[in-house]
Amino acid sequence: MNNQRVVELTLLLLAAFITLATVAVAAVAADVRVEWSAIPYLAALLLLWGVSHLSLRKWAPTANGLLFPIAALLQGLGVAFVLRIDPDLLLRHLVWSLFATVGFIAVLAGLRDLSQLRKLQTPLGLIGLVCISIPVILKISRGEVDSYPSFQFGSVAIEPSHMGILCLVIFFGAWLANYRSRNTAEYLGEADRLDGDPSRFIPLIGAWLIISVVVIFQNNMSSAFVLAAIFLSMWWVAVGRPIDLAFFAAAVVGSVLLTIDSVPEFQSRFDAWVDPWSNSQFSEAISRSSFALAQGGLTGTGPGEGSADWVPGATDQFAFVPIAEELGFMGGTAVLSSYLLLAGVGLRLATAARKEFESLLAVGIAIFFASQAWAAIAVPLRFLPPSDLSLPFVASNGSALFTCTIALALLLRVSETVPIIPDRTQILPRIAFKSRGTA
Amino acid sequence: MTRRLVHVGIAFLVIYGLLFFRLEMVQIFGARNLREHPQNTLEITLDFDAPRGAIRTADGETIAQTVAVKGARNRLRQYPYGSLYSHVVGFISAEHGGAGIERSHNDFLAGNDLSVRIQDNRDLFVDQARTGQLELSIRHDVQLVTRAAMAGHLGAAVVLEPASGSVWGMWSTPNFDPNHLSSHDLRAAATDFSALDSDGAQPLTNRVEYHSVEIGSLFTILTAAAAIESNLHDISVPATTSFPASQSSPAITNRDSNACGGTIESLMVNVCRSGWAAIGQEIGREPMQDISDRFGLVGGDPLRTGNALRGDRNQTELSPSAAHAAVGTAMELTPLQVAHLFATIANNGSRIQPRLVEQVRAHDGSVIHDFEPNVLNQSISKETAAKLLGLLSENVKTGSAQGLALSAVPVAGMSASRFSGSNHLWMVALAPVTRPEVVVAVLLEGDGSDDQDTAEATVAAITRRITEAVLRLPSSNLGGS
Repeated sequence: MNNQRVVELTLLLLAAFITLATVAVAAVAADVRVEWSAIPYLAALLLLWGVSHLSLRKWAPTANGLLFPIAALLQGLGVAFVLRIDPDLLLRHLVWSLFATVGFIAVLAGLRDLSQLRKLQTPLGLIGLVCISIPVILKISRGEVDSYPSFQFGSVAIEPSHMGILCLVIFFGAWLANYRSRNTAEYLGEADRLDGDPSRFIPLIGAWLIISVVVIFQNNMSSAFVLAAIFLSMWWVAVGRPIDLAFFAAAVVGSVLLTIDSVPEFQSRFDAWVDPWSNSQFSEAISRSSFALAQGGLTGTGPGEGSADWVPGATDQFAFVPIAEELGFMGGTAVLSSYLLLAGVGLRLATAARKEFESLLAVGIAIFFASQAWAAIAVPLRFLPPSDLSLPFVASNGSALFTCTIALALLLRVSETVPIIPDRTQILPRIAFKSRGTA
Repeated sequence: MTRRLVHVGIAFLVIYGLLFFRLEMVQIFGARNLREHPQNTLEITLDFDAPRGAIRTADGETIAQTVAVKGARNRLRQYPYGSLYSHVVGFISAEHGGAGIERSHNDFLAGNDLSVRIQDNRDLFVDQARTGQLELSIRHDVQLVTRAAMAGHLGAAVVLEPASGSVWGMWSTPNFDPNHLSSHDLRAAATDFSALDSDGAQPLTNRVEYHSVEIGSLFTILTAAAAIESNLHDISVPATTSFPASQSSPAITNRDSNACGGTIESLMVNVCRSGWAAIGQEIGREPMQDISDRFGLVGGDPLRTGNALRGDRNQTELSPSAAHAAVGTAMELTPLQVAHLFATIANNGSRIQPRLVEQVRAHDGSVIHDFEPNVLNQSISKETAAKLLGLLSENVKTGSAQGLALSAVPVAGMSASRFSGSNHLWMVALAPVTRPEVVVAVLLEGDGSDDQDTAEATVAAITRRITEAVLRLPSSNLGGS
């Protein structure tokens, strides 16, 4: 009866098949011991996917059927390529997958109406601020720079930074929706009247401060890029004042330039970026990533035949490298396209959402995924200086997986309020062009 | 709002497009450069504990082999002679990749090369670990002699067979024990590597191939060749103590301000720098540049035996002033290049690429690859080469290289030394004169405390010892050839 769920189940089975096939191929590859311990883990993972699918059937039956299988495929690739490198991570990852599924179901079952979330604007904003500013507190109390400060509970490490970014996305969405309802001139065809409200400077300055904190205290260009991309996109969609954005962008660039000059660690990250062949603290991961990618070539070395842990951080911030090495340019392109598709579906939902908050939330989450993936892949490809940002759904970082799954649940919730797309082939933002005249 | 959503979508399409483009550059178009990048140790690291062929000397000694061990990794690379061959075979390490032949010929050793992997038809269907065994031109007996002669001295020595370009011996001090670097105790290996890497004396550098030093008077053999080719072999210059070189450059003086002059032969035996400078001025820079090019000293790729090790071997240039060029000012060569130069003269002017690896063999001992002697060019005519050999022979009989003379065999040779700032001494021997079978080049680097005459006697004694011992060795030891 429900097309979306049928599509979802079909694609989910395909994702499961790809995951199992790659694990099997890697296991029989020369000189790799079969990790029998991975089998119960894989079974548990597929079970969690099934449970998520069933809960979607129960609590969000008309939600978009593409989103969850894409995320599942990426997670499956992560298991097949990244967790294989270090089987010790398997159990921890399973615990986090379980948490993530529980959180996923809790959001779907508990949050039937997104306006409930909008009411939580202030507490969520505060939580986001606290999570983001933890590095400042740590820096002052411990005196050390930590790109992603974590709290250890037994063997499980919680990193609040990702969660903070998601909270801020929700907060921005709610704030911008309020701002638009106070200044509804765009609906009257008088866009200029939006300029009159000076309160728009509050989030502009706030976002600049947050990004500066991330740059100065975390030295994390990737996180700064993610925050800036999310904020710029949401702001542009909701307010659309190019001048304000230009000032904002200039201020962010200014903070970065000042930090390069004054913080030695940030400086050394930049040096490793400019010259990855020098032997500095950060350059080895970059140069080795390039070598490993080059080894992959067009079709890759084949699953299980790659360089495994030769690239430092291959299980986390460089998770893209083992995939693109073993599956080659074709596999790397497929991964990139998956993220693009995820973002495309999110943006498409944003154009069709009935309420402004839901629309802005969809933009925020779509860019949350797209910019994180972009920034994580940009580091080994030398578009950004080295920093620690996990590849969404793929990396072994459980805390990030949890946050991304919650964000996915929110996006699915938004999609449920959207009228079912009549033509399922039109999943890319192409539809937005058609609706230009009528909006 | 919808219109601006489209903008966001387009912006992300564009930045993702950049990623696609860059990924293509790294994985497809730039991949070759990255795979061949000198810092890329990925492939050899992957092959660290894989099956790996042995490396043997020409007389059948195994100098690198992989043995089965118990532990987390089940194969260990061993170098039975330790530091004796450190600069020849190099090393393979889990974290630092490799060097030397282990690195340059990794594809053969590890069986990545197709010709090694597919040894017979069955290999097309059964995925078997096939490796290649390398047979080197190095002779164990020559290597032992070279090490013994060089004991206690800093520098490098190389023994070359002129007719084939085979490197028989290659020794450089200080050196290292590759067994420490190939150890399965990765922490100890890393400590050892960083100690070697940061050592100011550069034990990881193979000085024979990767250490360029000014050759000074050794260049006058080429000046003589240029003079002979310019039909100036009967030239005679008046005796002077120094030659006032052009413009700003300092005058070219003789040792102890001796006055000397005369024919080319007399200039050679007296190491008459002022006389050579005068001849250089007379024939001009062009013929000397030309002959240096034909000997492959300038302009082309520096000489390689395919033994990839680290060091500061740089491209050298002929001095812009003809007089300075004639006495070898600023002409920096490696010991291998020097040996190669004299081997070309010994080989009637026919220049042959030095080689270290002679054969790649399959598991059953059959030859897969045979690296035949590679003739590069005819640098000088046979007649010129014979005349130069005569000069070098006279130089041992009555001239500056008398320390090389052997009682049983006539030897030709030449020396050069620099005793200002960082000292170094060169000595080359060719023997027997009638048809040279061996060329020995020795470079000693001192700390400045030695007396020049003593140091020259030392380097002559070392070179003579190596030459004499190599000539006495039974050539039947040569297993393969």
